[in-house]
Amino acid sequence: MPQPLQSKEASLFRSLVKFYESKQHKKGLKAADQVLKKYPKHGDTQAMKALILNAQGHGEEAFELAKEALKNDMKSHVCWHVYGLLWRSVKNYEEATKAYKFALKIEPDSQNILRDLAHLQCQIRDYEGYIDSRRKMMNARPQLRQNWTGLAIAYHLSGNYKEAEHILKTYEETLKQTPPKSDLEHSEAVLYRNTIIAESGDTERALEHLESILKNNLDRTAVLELRAKYLLQLGRKEEAEKAYRALLDRNTDYRAYYDGLEQALGLDRTNEASFKRLTELYESYASKSERIDAPRRIPLDFLKGDAFKAAADQYLRRMLNKGVPSTFPNIKALYVDSEKKAIIEELVLGYASEKQMNGSADGKTNGDTSDRFEKSVLYFLAQQYDYVLSRNLEKATEYIDRLLEKDPKSVDYNQIKARIWKHYGDTQKAADTMNHARELDLKDRYINTKCAKYQLRNNENEKALDTMSKFTRNETVGGPLGDLHDMQCMWYLLEDGEAYMRRGKLGLALKRFTAIADIFETWQEDQFDFHSFSLRKGQIRAYVDMVRWEDHLRNHPFFTRAALSAVEIYIRLFDHPDLAKEHPELDKLEPSERKKALKKIQKEQEKARKAEADRRAAAQAKATAKGDDGEAKKPDTDPQGETLLRTKEPLEAALRFLIPLLELSPRNVEGQNLGFQVYLRRRKLLLALKCLLAAIELDSENPKVHGNSVLLRSHLNNLKEPLSPAVADAIKQDFTSPPANADLAALKAFNDDFLKKNSKSPAHLQRGYNVRFHLDPNTKSQNETDLQKLLDLEGTTLQQAAEGIKLLQEWKSDEKKVEAYREAVAKTWPQAAMFQKK
Amino acid sequence: MAEPQPSNVQEGASTPPAPLPTGTAEDRKAAAALSSLDAPSEDTDSPAKKEVDTKALGEAMKQLSVAKGGGEKRKAVKIEAGDVALLVSELELPKLKATELLRAHDGNALEAIRSFIAPAFSSVALRT
Repeated sequence: MPQPLQSKEASLFRSLVKFYESKQHKKGLKAADQVLKKYPKHGDTQAMKALILNAQGHGEEAFELAKEALKNDMKSHVCWHVYGLLWRSVKNYEEATKAYKFALKIEPDSQNILRDLAHLQCQIRDYEGYIDSRRKMMNARPQLRQNWTGLAIAYHLSGNYKEAEHILKTYEETLKQTPPKSDLEHSEAVLYRNTIIAESGDTERALEHLESILKNNLDRTAVLELRAKYLLQLGRKEEAEKAYRALLDRNTDYRAYYDGLEQALGLDRTNEASFKRLTELYESYASKSERIDAPRRIPLDFLKGDAFKAAADQYLRRMLNKGVPSTFPNIKALYVDSEKKAIIEELVLGYASEKQMNGSADGKTNGDTSDRFEKSVLYFLAQQYDYVLSRNLEKATEYIDRLLEKDPKSVDYNQIKARIWKHYGDTQKAADTMNHARELDLKDRYINTKCAKYQLRNNENEKALDTMSKFTRNETVGGPLGDLHDMQCMWYLLEDGEAYMRRGKLGLALKRFTAIADIFETWQEDQFDFHSFSLRKGQIRAYVDMVRWEDHLRNHPFFTRAALSAVEIYIRLFDHPDLAKEHPELDKLEPSERKKALKKIQKEQEKARKAEADRRAAAQAKATAKGDDGEAKKPDTDPQGETLLRTKEPLEAALRFLIPLLELSPRNVEGQNLGFQVYLRRRKLLLALKCLLAAIELDSENPKVHGNSVLLRSHLNNLKEPLSPAVADAIKQDFTSPPANADLAALKAFNDDFLKKNSKSPAHLQRGYNVRFHLDPNTKSQNETDLQKLLDLEGTTLQQAAEGIKLLQEWKSDEKKVEAYREAVAKTWPQAAMFQKK
Repeated sequence: MAEPQPSNVQEGASTPPAPLPTGTAEDRKAAAALSSLDAPSEDTDSPAKKEVDTKALGEAMKQLSVAKGGGEKRKAVKIEAGDVALLVSELELPKLKATELLRAHDGNALEAIRSFIAPAFSSVALRT
C-alpha cells in the first residue's frame, strides 16, 4: 500500500503528478524533492521523480531510483506502473509487460494500466493475454464501440474467427437504428466483419453479408473488389464478369481486374482456342481510349507466332513513335521466351533499317520531320543489347554511341552508357560516365542517387557521400551521413557497407549493416502507437494488414542482403581474430620499425580525432544539436565501427542477423549455407544439419551444399566426445550422403566423383577443388593449376573468375600464383577494372 | 508506378503549385501529437453516441460471458527434464517451446528433433 502522507505533502504529490503530465519537469522535480525531504522513503514520489528524470534523458539514474522506490514500497501500483513505463521507454516490452501485470494485480480497476498492458501484449503478440485484457476493457466500458472492436481484433489475430465475428455481430445487434450512411466507423466495422467471414472460409455467407451492406458502404473499391472475388470463387461466372467489368470501368490499367475477367469468361491463356476471344476482349478495352496501356500490352504475354508479331509490331510502333523511354523495360519481361525475343529483335532491327525512320507502317512522312522515332529505336536497341538475356555489349556500345553523337546532353543516354561500362566490368568508367550524366541535370535527385551508387560500386565511399550531400539536409547531426541514417535511406547504407566490405574495412561495413538491422527494429516498434490509434480511427482492415506485415517484416530483401554480408563478416572474424586488430600489417615489421610506425599512426589518429572534434563543435555552434522531435541526439561513440569489430563473440553477434534470416527467408539457399557455417562453428550439429537439409531441399545441386555435406561428415568423423544418443540417432537417420561410414579416403573419392560429374561447371569445380584442398592440403598445387584452367572453360563468368581469387587467398597461395591468375583473368576480360594492375 | 503526387498538385494547373511548407518538422509534430492523443479519447467519457442502447448492451454482455469458457484440455504426457534440457541446448529453443515440441511428439525426443530439423517452408509467407 502507498505510505500515507500528511495533507500538505499529499497535495504536493498531486501537483507533482500534474507537473509530469504537463511536462513541467523542473517544477515537478522541485515538488518531488520537497516531499522527499520530509518522507525520504516515499516510494510513489521516488517513482514519479524517476519518471521525470527519464523524460529528461537520465535513463540510468531513473532506473536506479525506480528500483529503490520498488524496494521501499513493493505494494504500490504507482511504483510498478512507473517501472513498466521505464521498461517500455527502452523498448523492452517483455519486462514492461511483467511490471504492468504486477501493477494491475494491486490495482485491478485502473483503466490506464490495463490499456497500456493490452498494447504491450499486442506488441509482443501475446494474443491469449491480449484477449484477456481486451475483455476486461470491454467489461469496464461496453458503451464504447472501440472496446468491442478491440476484442474482436484480439480474437481475429489469434485465429478465432468465429468468436471475433460473434463479438462484432453482438454489438451491431444492440444498435437501436442503423447508423447513418456517413458513419465511417460503422462502415469500416461491417466491412471488417465481412473480411472475417471470408477468412473463416465461408465465402457463401460472406457474399450474402456483403450484398446486404453493399449499397451503403463508403469504401466503394473494397466492396466491389470483394464482391467480384467472391462471385468468382463461388463459380457464379456471369455475375463475376459483370462485377469485373464494373471494376474495369473504374480503372482500366489494373492487371488484376483483367485476370479476374478472363477467369470469369472461362478463358484460358494456355489454350489457343480462346486466343480469338481474348484478343477481342482486349481490343474492345483498348479501343475505349487512346491513353490506356494495359489492354494493349497484356496480349503480348500470351500471343504466339504471327499473331504475336503483328501485335508486337503495332505496340512497339505506337510506343516508339510517342518516344516513350520506358518501352524496353515494359517489354523485357517477354524475353524469357526466346522465340518472342527473336521476333522483337527482328522487328526493331527492321525499324532501324527502314530508309527514313518515321514509324508509320506505310512509309508516309509527316510534315514536320521529327527524329523521335529513330532515337527511340536506337535507344531501345541499346538497352536490349545491354539486357542480360540478349547481351551483346559491342552492339550496345555502337547504338548508344550513335545516340550520344546525336544528343550528347541526354541524361538517359549517358546513363545507359554507364550501365554498359558496368557490365564490361569497368566500374571506374561506369562511375565517371554516370557522374557526367548527373552533371547534365543537377536538379534531378534520381540521377544523383544513381551516380552515388555507381561510385560506391567503384569503392569510392567518400566521393559518393559527397554526391549524396547535394540532396541531404546537411545541418543534421552527423552531416549528410547522419541525415541518410535519419531518413532510413537503406539502399545507400547497404551499398556503402558492401563497398567497405570489398575494401576490407570490416568495421565500417559492420556498422552500416547494423544500421540496417536497427532501422528494421525501428519499423517493428513503429507499430506501437497504432494499437490504439487505428482503433480510434476505426480503420481496422488496414491495421490488421499492418500487424500481419510486421510479422514477416524481416523477409524484406534489404534485410536479407545486409544479413548475408554481416554474417559472412562475423564468420571471417571468428576464423581470423587478427582481422579485428587495428593494424595487422604491423606484425610483419621489425620491432624497432614497428614502434616508429605505431607512433606515426597514433599521431595521425590524434590529428583526425581533433579535426573531428573541431568539426563537431562547429556544427554544434551552428545548429542546435536537436533532432526534429526535440530529442537531443547523442553523438556517435563509435564512428568507425571498431567496437563492433572487436566483439569477443562474433558468432553470437551474427545471430541477430541469422535468426530472422533463417526464420523469415528460409528459401534463401545462401542464407542456409551461411547458417550451416555458423552453427557448425558453434558446435550445434543439429542446427547445422537443419540448415543443410533445407539447402538440399531447395537446391540439391548447389555447389556449396556439396562442400558443406563433406564438411559435416568429416566433422562427425573427428568428434572428440560422443554425442548424446538422441542427437546421434537423428543425425544418423537424416544425414546419409556422404554415407555414415565414409572415412577420409572415401570422402576424397566422393569428392572426385563430384568433380567428374560436374566437369563442365566452373562453380561446381571451384567448390570441389576447395573441398579437395581442405581434405588434403597436399593437393594445393594441383588445385591451383586446375583453378587456373577453369578460366579457359566455356561459360566461365567474370564473377566466377573473381571467386577464384578469393579461393587462392583462402588457400594462402603464393603471391606469384595469385598474380599469374590475375593476369590470366585480365587477359580474358580486358575491361574489368578490378583485375587491372594497380 | 509513379509516386503519388502531393495533394496540392492539380492536373492541368498552369502555375506550378506552391512549394510544400518546408517546416516538415511541423507535420511530424502533428503526427506525433495525433498518436499520443489516444489516451484521453479512449479514456474520457466521450458522450456515447445516441443510438447506443445501454440496456441492450448489458444483455449482450451477459450472453457473451455465458458463451465464454471451456478450453481444450492438454494431453497428459510425461516429459523428461533431461530431454527438455537437451533440446534447449542443441536446438537453442526456449524452454517453453522445447516442452511444447516434446509434448507434440508424446515425449519422444528423437521424433521431436527429427521433425524440427526437417525442412518445412509452406508456413512462411512468400515474397514474390
